[in-house]
Formats: sequence, structure tokens, C-alpha cells
Amino acid sequence: MTWVDAPATATPEGRITTKGSGPSRRRAWAGRLFVAPNLAAVAVFMLFPLGFSLYMSFQNWDVFRPPKFVGLKNFGELFTSDPLFLIAIRNTVIFTVGTVVPTVLISLVVAGVLNRKVKGVGVFRTIVFLPLAISSVVMAVVWQFVFNTDNGLLNIMLGWVGIGPIPWLVEPRWAMASLCMVSVWRGVPFATVVLLAAMQGVPETVYEAAKIDGAGEIRQFVSITVPLIRGAVSFVVVISIIHAFQAFDMVYVLNGPNGGPESATYVLGIMLFQHAFWFLEFGYASALAWVMFAILLVLTVVQLRLTHRRSWETSRGLR
Amino acid sequence: MLDKPFGRRSLLRGAGALSAASLASWAAGCAPDDDALTFFFAANPDERDARMRIVDEFQRRHPDIKVRAVLSGPGGMQQLSTFCAGGKCPDVLMAWELTYAELADRGVLLDLNTLLARDLAFAAELTSDSIGALYDTFTFNGGQYAFPEQWSGNFLFYNKRLFTKAGVPAPPTTWEKPWSFAEFLDTARALTKWGESGRVSQWGFVNTFVSYYSAGLFAMNNGVPWSTPRMNPTHFNFDNDAFIEAVQFYADLANKYKVAPNASETQSMSTPDLFAVGRAAIALGGHWRYQTFMRADGLDFDVTSLPIGPRRTGQLACSNIGATGLAISASSQRKEQAWEFVKFATGPIGQALIGESCLFVPVLRSALNSDGFAKAHRRIDNLAVLTEGPAYSEGLPITPAWEKVNALMDRNFGPVLRGSRPATSLAGLSQPVDEVLRSP
Repeated sequence: MTWVDAPATATPEGRITTKGSGPSRRRAWAGRLFVAPNLAAVAVFMLFPLGFSLYMSFQNWDVFRPPKFVGLKNFGELFTSDPLFLIAIRNTVIFTVGTVVPTVLISLVVAGVLNRKVKGVGVFRTIVFLPLAISSVVMAVVWQFVFNTDNGLLNIMLGWVGIGPIPWLVEPRWAMASLCMVSVWRGVPFATVVLLAAMQGVPETVYEAAKIDGAGEIRQFVSITVPLIRGAVSFVVVISIIHAFQAFDMVYVLNGPNGGPESATYVLGIMLFQHAFWFLEFGYASALAWVMFAILLVLTVVQLRLTHRRSWETSRGLR
Repeated sequence: MLDKPFGRRSLLRGAGALSAASLASWAAGCAPDDDALTFFFAANPDERDARMRIVDEFQRRHPDIKVRAVLSGPGGMQQLSTFCAGGKCPDVLMAWELTYAELADRGVLLDLNTLLARDLAFAAELTSDSIGALYDTFTFNGGQYAFPEQWSGNFLFYNKRLFTKAGVPAPPTTWEKPWSFAEFLDTARALTKWGESGRVSQWGFVNTFVSYYSAGLFAMNNGVPWSTPRMNPTHFNFDNDAFIEAVQFYADLANKYKVAPNASETQSMSTPDLFAVGRAAIALGGHWRYQTFMRADGLDFDVTSLPIGPRRTGQLACSNIGATGLAISASSQRKEQAWEFVKFATGPIGQALIGESCLFVPVLRSALNSDGFAKAHRRIDNLAVLTEGPAYSEGLPITPAWEKVNALMDRNFGPVLRGSRPATSLAGLSQPVDEVLRSP
């Protein structure tokens, strides 16, 4: 089959020479037309909900009755009289730290291993990237079996080394640890992809110079690889924090709709969903969503500033 | 290979036309295509078929009224709120005992008294044939927001073969001559067997209902209602001694007496399965389990009443109402047709069909005592537990703030039922619950 542009004016050169500014206007118009569907989707599915949720955060709305303006009451209640908000914040922070730190550390090691040209790395790479292809819900269901107290794979394996059955999803203190483990397992592949790409951009000559100076593999990794991929690490940290703050689906399936047992895994995502769809307090849930957004914005800006400062200092130091 | 060149413009035009056509058909699919009465309900596949038989029979008798069934997925309230927010509130909707008040309070449900007042014959029929407690369950703030259509109270299933094998006397045959907590515990102990590995091979008792609701059922059978008053409560009786004692007894079944599996032990096998395969002798549950147990190979079971605690001695045992009803949306454009359907499904014919289905317990006396219901439950010797169950039921609290109370209960009952805190700790739950009731 041949693909041919029938009219002679279809080539860019032809348009410019024969019709002057007309074709470029038409081309601009066509460009706008091509991006219009995407722009419409962004407007309908992103900008409108954003604006609507901001509007709703100042209203009292239960879907069935018309919204009622309440000013800053939703925000006031959230900060002053909702004891669960503090619990949700605490749990979210624990979950974020418990997820982001191990994710970054493990991903660095895994990416470091994958970056080496060793035999069988292709198989290892496939295994590492597998979780990336599985949905969170499926992952949580499978992990429920793994965490089974009496017959779960994890406790069976721990039993081999003499560790008694751990009530992973039953006892509150273990429930959060379980959640973090699954989240790390899910987060590592993505972080590894990013870090591996960055590692492959580090010039080989730097390593050769280090080798000549007598630096070992670990020293090279700590003193060359990690500092030179700082930008990528920073990106992974920011994205992981955002993901951890938005955690919902996995918690909902793994630990139940109330973020149990008790309030052990009651994170902000669960709180938001519960208020919106169980208690039908859409205004309150919208206020919570904007508070979450504000926290993330501050965290991200602070983190980026710190990274920029560090990279500026590093570049000055190198000079 | 094509001889003619395929132009980019032709391709784009074709794609445009295709998109327009698909959008047009999509829009048409979303448009209200007919004038059918919409009936929103939740059901598993078997139950759906039984309800569809009622719909079909109604349409056969009312050919002028077309009914379109809308089956709810998990989270019926979310689905309903989405429908109503989009201006497509179903005409007839299933109402649950514990959550309908939330909808009634928000003006979503029609007060059926407005229609009942015009239909005196049906009103009289309903009064004479209904069971008061079930009918009153849907009476909220002076309005009648639904008519009950099936009873989902809880009782005990027991494995007859395991009872005989252990030489344990059969449990009570009715709600009128109940057994005590102590007798129940002795029976469960005698029926709990340990395997060679040191693990339990057969449990005396398993719970197949929501665990903290079951604990509350034991409290009701120790002479204390969940709340005071039942409708629009101002106080939950979690701080009542009788309530605390009963919940402690229930928690001890798993943690102290080891006659029931604890939370960890039920992770590997569901409790209905434990009963179905003969690894549990007694199971607490409602009629919705009947179909599962009936299909289990080699399971010879019967039903019995719940035990009563020391503070209810000398009284009858009770179940919970747990009923679902049928309501009409206040915004429905087809109220008259909806009324005909609700009358049919909750009236004698619909109820007889419900009774024959073997999937539900009807709520009208005529259907409960019918041959059809008895025939559908011919494997049951203690049929009175089912036929008299609705009349011996007591209700759980009816409040628009139920979802919030439920979330608080879920959080606070957990440690008690796991045995990590005593039931006396529940006294502290009354205050936050009462606060939620004051300002939902």
C-alpha cells in the first residue's frame, strides 16, 4: 500500500512558495484542531473537576440536596475538631516514610545491579519490572494470601528460620508494616526504570578514572553514581511522596474500607473516600483534597529548592 | 495492495465520520430510550433471578407498565447517589433497614402514607397481614418510607450429624424455649475437636455475619437494646453492663474458650465454608446462607434460635430485623406505576413468590405460613425458627448518622473481639457515638 499526499500543495515547501502566509495560518488552525480533543479532555476531566472541588470545599453538599455555602467551615472543622484528621496525617506520614525511603534505597541497588553487564541480567530485569504490569487491586488481593497468618507464604517462609506466625493484617502494628511492604514492592520497578536510565547516562570515563585511582565497586557507586544521578533520585523521591500521599486503592483492598484494623492504616486517601462516598460529605472531602494538595505542593517545592541548591553547590565545588 | 493512493485527507475525513457516528450512537445509548419504570436492587445472581420472576409476573399482570431492572454493584448507596446526582434516581429502590433513614432524611424517598391513604383496601390488607416490628422499621419521623419485602434476621444453623456424633442434645426448636449462654458454650465446647497437629480440626461455633453486629446480637439477647430510643437514638448502650457482659462472652468464645476461630484463623478459610464442609458444628447467619448450605455435599443441617444471656432469663430469644424494603423515589415521574409495583412485590402475590424462591424469608404472615414456603424449606425440621423469626425480631438503631456510627464501631469493637482489650473499653465508645448522633 502506498501513502501519497495527492495535491502538490501538500508539501511544506509548496505551501510556503505558492500561498505565502495563508498555508501557515491554515497549518496553525489545523494544529489547534488536532490538539482540541485533548484540550477538551483536559478541560472536562481535569480543569473542571479541579475548579469544582475548590468550589465544593466551601459548600456543604450531600449530592441529594443543593449545595449550601459554609465558607471556611469545612477547613475549620478539619483542623480543629476532627480527631481522625490527625490520625490520618500521622498514618500517611508513617506510610510515606516507610515507603519512600526503602523504595529509593532498594531501587538504587537494583538499578546498580541491572546496570552491570552480567550474565542473566535480562531475566532479572524482567522479574524486577513485573510488578509494574500488575494493577494495585490485583496486587493487594495476591498479597492478602501472602500475608495470611496461618497459611500465608510469608509466615511459612519465616517459619523455616524459626520465626513464629506474625498476624500481618490482623494486628494494627503489623498492618502498617504490611502495607508499606506491598507499596515498596509496587514502587521499586518504576523507580528502578528512572534510576537505571540516569545511571546509563553517567560517562564511562569517570568510572575508568576512578578505577585507576583504586576505587572499588561500592566506592564507585557511592561516590560517582549516586551523586551524578541526584536529579533522577530527586524526581523519584518527589513522585514516590506524591504516590504515597494519594494511596487509596491498595489500602482499600488490603486493609478494608475503613483503613483497619482499628485506625492503623487510616490514611488521607481513605479518609477522603469515606467522607465523600460513605458519609456523603462531598464539601468536607473536597476541603480535605485541597489540604492534601497544599501539603504536597509545599513538600515538592521545598524538596526541589533543596535539590537545586545542592546541585548548584556541587557544580561550584566541581569548578 | 491498493492501486489507488489513499489520501491523508480521505483518511482524516473517514476518521471524523467514524468518530461522529460513534459519538451519536453513544449519546443515543445514554438517552432515556423508553418510559420504563426503573427498579434498583442489589442481589447475587440467584437472588437476581428470583427478583426477576417477580418483575416478570408483575409485567404479565400489568402489560401497560414496563419495568427495567437496575442491578446494584457493591456499594449500593454510592451507586444510588451517583444516579440521583445525575438526575436519574430510580423510581423504585431497595431500602436497607440500617441505611434508608439517611435517604429519607435527605428527602430522597417518598412518604408512602400519601399513597396508602388513597388505597384503603391495600392498607387494610397490609395491616392484617404484616408483622408490626418489620413494618414499623421503615416508619421514620412520622413517614412510611418503605414497605418490608424480606426478613434477613440472624439465627443459628447447626450440623445435625456432628451433634449426633458428639452425643450432644439437639438445640431448641423455637424462639420460645431458648437455650442459655452457658448451655450454648457447653455445646460448642463438646463440638470443638482438636487434631493431632495441635490445631482445631472442628469448630464448635463460627460466625458468618459481620462480627461486631453478631456481638451486638448476643447483647440484645442479654436484655439490652443497642440504642435508646431505637428511632433517632440519642444514646448507644455500649456502656450498659448487660451489653458489655454479652460482648465479652461473644469475644471469649474465640479468645478464651477457643470454641470459635479468631480473626487470624478465619483468614485461610471463610466461616461459611467451614460450616459447609462440616468443619464447624454451629454457624450464626441469616437466611441468605441457606442456599449455600443447601448445595453443600453431605451437609445435614437444621436451624435453631440464638442463646439468651443471664440478664434475659425467662424471656424469649430474639433475632434482628435486618429487613430490606421497597421504596419509591420522591422525584419519580412514574409514582402511580411505582406504587402498583411496590404493592405487588410487597403484597400477597409478590410475597408468595419470594417465599417459594427458597432464597428469602417473606414478611407477610400469609406467605410465611404458606405451603410454598414450607415446600421450599422441606429440609428444615425447625421451620418455626424461620416462620416465627420475623415476629421475634428486634430492630437495630435507625439513624441518618448510621454510616458514621458504623465506622466508629468497626474501629472500637476490633480490639475487643481480638481479645486485646476487655469489653469494658466499649464504655468509652458511647460518648463519641452520642456526639455523632447530636451533630451528624
